[in-house]
Amino acid sequence: MDNINVLIIEDTVAESDALVKVLTENNYNIVGIARTYQDALTMFYQNTVDIVVIDVFLDGKPDGITFAETINIVPNGVKPFVFLTSSKDRQIFERAKLTRPFSFLMKPFNELEILYALEMAVEKFYEQTNVFHSEDQNTVISNDTLFIKKNKSLKKVKIEDIVYIEVEDRYCNIITDVEKFVILISLTKIIHLLDPAKFCQTHRNYIVNISKIEEIIVNDNLVILKGNHKVTLSDKYKDFVKNFRILK
Amino acid sequence: MLNIKLLLFFSLLFNSFFIFSQENIHENNLFRNEIKATVIRFKEEVNFNKAASSFLEKNWDSTLVYSMRQIALTKNIKLLDYCHYFRGISFKEKKLINESKNEFGKVSIAFQFNYKVKNNLGEIALEQKDFKKALFYFQQIEKLSDKDSYDIINSIVLHNIGLCYLHLKKIDKAEIYLFKSSKLQEIEKDTLLLIGSYIDLANLYYEQYKDNQAIPYFEKAYHLSKKVKSFELKRVATLNMAAVEENRKNFPLALVYRKEYETWKDSLNDQNKVWAVAQVEKKFAVKQKQKEVDVLAAENKAKIAERNGFLISSVLLLILFGTGVYFYRQKIRNNRIILAQKNELDELNATKDKLFSIVSHDLRSSVNALKTSNGKLMENLENKNFTELDVLLHNNSTIANGAYNLLDNLLNWALLQTKQAYFYQESLHLATIVQHVEYNYKPLMLNANLNFKSDVSKTDYVFADMDSLKIIIRNMLDNAIKFSKENGTISIYSRPSSEEFCYLVIEDTGLGMNETTRQELLKETLLLSKKKNDDIIGTGLGMQLCKSLIRKNGGKLEIESEENVGTKMIIILPKFKNHG
Repeated sequence: MDNINVLIIEDTVAESDALVKVLTENNYNIVGIARTYQDALTMFYQNTVDIVVIDVFLDGKPDGITFAETINIVPNGVKPFVFLTSSKDRQIFERAKLTRPFSFLMKPFNELEILYALEMAVEKFYEQTNVFHSEDQNTVISNDTLFIKKNKSLKKVKIEDIVYIEVEDRYCNIITDVEKFVILISLTKIIHLLDPAKFCQTHRNYIVNISKIEEIIVNDNLVILKGNHKVTLSDKYKDFVKNFRILK
Repeated sequence: MLNIKLLLFFSLLFNSFFIFSQENIHENNLFRNEIKATVIRFKEEVNFNKAASSFLEKNWDSTLVYSMRQIALTKNIKLLDYCHYFRGISFKEKKLINESKNEFGKVSIAFQFNYKVKNNLGEIALEQKDFKKALFYFQQIEKLSDKDSYDIINSIVLHNIGLCYLHLKKIDKAEIYLFKSSKLQEIEKDTLLLIGSYIDLANLYYEQYKDNQAIPYFEKAYHLSKKVKSFELKRVATLNMAAVEENRKNFPLALVYRKEYETWKDSLNDQNKVWAVAQVEKKFAVKQKQKEVDVLAAENKAKIAERNGFLISSVLLLILFGTGVYFYRQKIRNNRIILAQKNELDELNATKDKLFSIVSHDLRSSVNALKTSNGKLMENLENKNFTELDVLLHNNSTIANGAYNLLDNLLNWALLQTKQAYFYQESLHLATIVQHVEYNYKPLMLNANLNFKSDVSKTDYVFADMDSLKIIIRNMLDNAIKFSKENGTISIYSRPSSEEFCYLVIEDTGLGMNETTRQELLKETLLLSKKKNDDIIGTGLGMQLCKSLIRKNGGKLEIESEENVGTKMIIILPKFKNHG
């Protein structure tokens, strides 16, 4: 599990310091603090950024919104972002609203509020709302990353690192190359959200990453994965084998 | 002799007139029935029908028109005969003798009533003084048996023949016919005809100087004439008598007859005169009436014009009045609206003024307190009195906090009033939002030695604007803290939600309030509540703001309170319905 990379765009040092403090305390990784629109663009495209925190007003101009508008133009480059503002001025909001998905945070804010705002940004961005505060789910799944709420903060796991997933009631054990952890999500949801070309179900309780399969022993009902993980293959799901070219 | 000629002329005229009228009177039933039967037989011949009916009604002009059309259309000899006969009679009645003669000539010999045609032709000939021809026609009729011509009065035919002979100077034959006719008329008791016949007979004898034979007839005629009403006959008879007496040189008697004659003549004249006068009078009366009618018509016209004028003017007046009333009412309404707006504005202005005075007072005192406190702080720092420093700093932070809250509310209120605030309702996890707000208050409550409990349902999602929800909760917590006593408890929890709404309760065990205050707080008025207790009750701005915001979010506020026990503020917010 990795920390989330946050880019902060904020021209007031005191406020950015406070932000950095809160976010670092909650295991967020700050990839940079941009003071101007130009800096922001450079940093955004040079680093791997998961979430952007944008102050609407940079040096008295609504450059924050301009930045959001700019990154919105490139469809695949957009990341979840949060606007910070101390004014509820409607004109500014009407403009900011056009950069969908739109979430904002009023200044002054406390620790809970900023963390909440980041979570909301992720939820809205990946269109899986009411996840992090519900009691039966704690993970948002994008097409290449799992965003997992762990304690108060968010963590991420690259989907390509997952070897297999073992379902246990409402929980899923995620086994990656390096670690093993539990997330809260139902089987139906996770299957629905994962790319069927990359993952397939081999058993009522197992979902495997196809690229991690080393060997399928049909007779023993066994799938051997990278790292010598062994997963059961049940009759019901044997059909998936047909998707492979079988050497005889 | 001159007298005799004169007499003869009179008689002749009289006779011709007499004969025509006789024919008309004796228009007999057989002929009429026959026409009707023919009409029924030729029902489809519309023109014939019309011609026949016009003929029977003696409407000669229409008879001519329709019979002409019928002649042009039909080839039926019977119909043609009838039509020509109709036309003949019509022309005769209209005194177009030659035309009449032509029409009668066109009637075929086969015509059922040919003898009538001949009779008419005879009468025409007599009229035209073609006595020979007349005689020829009449003799033909005479030869017919009574049966064939029973609808023609024989005596008239005989009389006419006699007249013809008389004019042809065949005296003996004339005598025979006239005598025959007079005999017949005696039998028939047709006095009028008889007088004529007697006169003619007398004239016949008189012309032959057979005075002895003539005179009795004259006398007979005279005596008979006394019984009839015809002045014409009386006159002629009397004149004849006068002439006879004159010739007999019996002048006194002649004179008597003359006088009688004159009276009859006068009577006739008088009658004519009376008739003429009556005619003139009638004309005059008609003229007078016409004039009256004209005057009345003119009056009517004038009246109608007047009435129309009145109508139009009244309608115009009504419209004018209506528009006047409309505009007047419009004006009154406008005035009322303006007045209402003015009152509202005044109220708002008063509110604003009050607000400013309260806010400025509060703000000034807060900042002033901060200033003094800071002075003390510096003093204590110089004296290195650190325990005092801690107290002062906490005090400062409370003051600053209060001032900030006031400012924040003021700003939000201003934004709300000017409708400049961004407002966006969305699904919000109520528990999380409450958590965010209470996070800031926990240290405060800890400082004030207040217990705090929070138990908001994690399944409640409300449909609200996040920022306004936070403002509401913040103010409620502020109030709860403000009205709480030392060691009091503040709890924030949710009541079981209904279909439509979520209920968030902020409860304190503080001062509470009485019913009047409670009611006043819930009033939807923009006016700020009065400032009773400077220290505790603030501007009321926060409460107003909360109420407005709750309303804007589609929610409601309820208060349950008991004095010295505590207050429950219940915020009712619409549920978000389609959350996963």
